[in-house]
Amino acid sequence: MKKVLLVDDDVDFCEATKLLLDSKGYDVVLAYDGKEGLEKVRAEKPGMVILDVMMPEMSGYDVCVVLKADPELKKIPVILLTAVDQALFKTTYTQAMGLMTEADDYIAKPVEPGELVKRVEDLLSRA
Amino acid sequence: MLIKPSINILVVENDITILQRCRELLLDEGHRVRTAESVEEALNIIQKHPGDVDIMLLSLELPGWGGMTLINVVQKARREILIMTMSDNCGEEAIEAMQAGAYDCIRKSFTTDRFWTKMNRAIEAFRLRRQLDILTRQRQAALTTVRRDENLLAILQSFTDGFVVTDWQTNIVLFNEKAASLFDLTREKALGHPISVSIKSDELLSFFMRAIKSDSSLAPLMVGEEPIVKVGEKALRVHVDPVKNETGTVIGAAGLFHDVSTVSAMDKLKSDFLSMVSHELKSPLSSLLMQISVVLDGLAGDLTAKQLDLLGKAKEKTKGMITLVNDILDYRRIQEGKSIQKIESLDLAEILQRTVELMRLSAEEKGLSMTCEIAEELASFRGDRGGMEAIFVNLISNAIKYTPKGGNVDLTLNKAGKDIRFKVVDNGMGIPPEDIDRIFDKFYRIKTEETRSISGSGLGLSIVKGIVDAHNSAIHVESEVGKGTTFIVSLPAE
Repeated sequence: MKKVLLVDDDVDFCEATKLLLDSKGYDVVLAYDGKEGLEKVRAEKPGMVILDVMMPEMSGYDVCVVLKADPELKKIPVILLTAVDQALFKTTYTQAMGLMTEADDYIAKPVEPGELVKRVEDLLSRA
Repeated sequence: MLIKPSINILVVENDITILQRCRELLLDEGHRVRTAESVEEALNIIQKHPGDVDIMLLSLELPGWGGMTLINVVQKARREILIMTMSDNCGEEAIEAMQAGAYDCIRKSFTTDRFWTKMNRAIEAFRLRRQLDILTRQRQAALTTVRRDENLLAILQSFTDGFVVTDWQTNIVLFNEKAASLFDLTREKALGHPISVSIKSDELLSFFMRAIKSDSSLAPLMVGEEPIVKVGEKALRVHVDPVKNETGTVIGAAGLFHDVSTVSAMDKLKSDFLSMVSHELKSPLSSLLMQISVVLDGLAGDLTAKQLDLLGKAKEKTKGMITLVNDILDYRRIQEGKSIQKIESLDLAEILQRTVELMRLSAEEKGLSMTCEIAEELASFRGDRGGMEAIFVNLISNAIKYTPKGGNVDLTLNKAGKDIRFKVVDNGMGIPPEDIDRIFDKFYRIKTEETRSISGSGLGLSIVKGIVDAHNSAIHVESEVGKGTTFIVSLPAE
């Protein structure tokens, strides 16, 4: 069973998304801020990380940069998740940040559950 | 044939043969000719009959007082006389004469043809010069002496907007008290001086220039163009119109200035507030959508048919709100001129294909058949990727929204001349003719029995229009109620 770490400060979003991904057979671990996220990556060694961008303490971008700089952790695929972006411009902004932080994929919030599952599956099958 | 009015020509030449020849040639064409054999005689005629000399045909080989002296005198005292010189070989002396103000030089060994080639050009130049003079005098007379009508002045003073009138050379000839307080104008410093001296704004000056030059169609001000200009601390909505006399000649310009400083401060506040609220709304809406979806999918236990129905509606409403929030943010960015983020070479075929993949599900859910035909080997297009996606998404989702079950949505992307053309054809409900001009207005939605149940912000098409404009492209719509609608976007190929 693939372990997925979801890091997001919105507890409601975490719970609902955990239900969704659990139902697809993933083992979902939750973290509610960037620091906790990093700790859990090291402790749990997940198969993938879904990272919200706007979080207190440490933003998703920062977490991603740290992950990708760590030779042991850099292979773990990361999806960036952000509500900052808009539908119209979702590519440019998040893409640019994604490239800088070497994230493997990016998703603009709000995301359709089906779309999220598809992206997770795609990325894991590539990894 | 048009008979041109004759010209008064004074021929000054001491060689009688040449003098006579010139006289005959000019008389034959119906001009009035006077002759003088010396500089003194010529001066005498010019002084006694000032209106009788339009052009002076002057030999540069006169004895005594030279022709050059005569040129200098005439240039000083009677500038309106056009001076044409004659000499044996039109050498140094001719160049010197022209530097002093003579128009041209004719060789004395002229043939009839050569004589007229040069003379006709001089006559034409004289006529143009005279027309210009008349115009100039008309213009000066018209506005520098604004008649002091007390009532009219009182009316102008009562305007709550600033009001400044200039003559055709942008010298201020009139302003009201509001303008005086807006720009710190005083009668002594401002009246009769160029507007650029009192009001330091290149932009404003350019509006006055454009209004004044509007009859020469150099850069006409657009109808309804009312830009907001910053002058010092103030934000002013400016409107400048040409002032014309009875004959339609532009004799000046009049500018109205509406102080919108507080309004634009409010506007900024409003838009900051809007984007803050929009961002704050998006996070909880994302959670809400996820929560409802998860429950709806039965991941939190089985649902009754009634619960499914109600939750399904709740999900649609949530998505509608998300679209609204996105539209507000997008629209704001376009208003702020940020609709183009990054210009790059784009493969529109690839972008369209990806968009169609995303949209296909919603077309199928609605029972529509959607086709997409993309021409092979399309030229690339320079533009903003996000913007292009937004054009495709908005036009396609509109077609899907406004086409009833069982209908068709057909997309084509091909070459049309130098453009790449994107076409969306549906056989949906169509747009009533009275609405078609307003569909690109923000928040405009067509209200009929059929559209009531369709959710939307009324911003989609104004977003599309904003992006299309920012890419120097064009959008065109044809529609017939009950038959369907066609949108065509023409994008200039690279």
